Amino acid sequence: MSWSSRLAALLPRTAVQDTGGTEPDPRFTFANERTFLAWSRSALALVVAGLGVVQLLPPFPGVPSGRHLIGLPLIVLGAVLAVTAYAEWVRNQRALRRGEPLPRSVMPWILAATVTGIAVISSIVLLVSAAR
Amino acid sequence: MTGPPDQGRPDQGPPDQGPPRPGPAGADPAGAEPPPPGDDPEERDPGLARERTSLSWMRTAISFAALGGVVLKANLLSGLVILAIAPVVWQLGRVTRGPGASGLPVVGATRLFIITVAIVAVALLCLVIAVFGQAVPGALR
Repeated sequence: MSWSSRLAALLPRTAVQDTGGTEPDPRFTFANERTFLAWSRSALALVVAGLGVVQLLPPFPGVPSGRHLIGLPLIVLGAVLAVTAYAEWVRNQRALRRGEPLPRSVMPWILAATVTGIAVISSIVLLVSAAR
Repeated sequence: MTGPPDQGRPDQGPPDQGPPRPGPAGADPAGAEPPPPGDDPEERDPGLARERTSLSWMRTAISFAALGGVVLKANLLSGLVILAIAPVVWQLGRVTRGPGASGLPVVGATRLFIITVAIVAVALLCLVIAVFGQAVPGALR
């Protein structure tokens, strides 16, 4: 399956045309929607954190681009999380309709890996800044 | 003599404890029976799930407003645009859910897609502000 067809499958009209299965229990549908919204809020929190780091923190002495090194990945991660959350909502809803097991989520892995990477970058920036 | 009281099905819980995760089709170890035929999803009581989802939409709208407030410090126009998204999100959460003719509920898919596009647009806007904008260190003091 090509990337273009995968992206096209995420569009609302295409998702609605998936007629397999039956309408799931409304509680499952609501829970799936709440999970999407929770990830969306996490994405917004990452964006605001990244912008806050770049715009509001005082510069790190000796590391002129330190704020950008920390803040820009957070903003990009926020956008990635938002798109992934929608893709997972479509996949989960499809699985619920067909009575299949819910697909494994990659989002916790993405979030944990990126936050760990940013924490490492932050530590290095702080150490370099403190050493100068 | 009457028999023992009905203990109820073990897989049934109060509706406010959240939905149980469905297992693979045909592989239920507890031997729970599938819902009887003719059990219309529209007639099932979602319990408090609707309330919790409505509150979740409200929290998302507040998150947009908070982000707009922060962006206001960096760029007035962009901050106002993001602030204007907040009531739109709140209204999207109030849209009555209606099943489409077939497949996923069209209203649900569309409004979640709108949220996703809005967050990506806001992230791009913040990226531009972060790269090209004038930093104001200590603005929150």
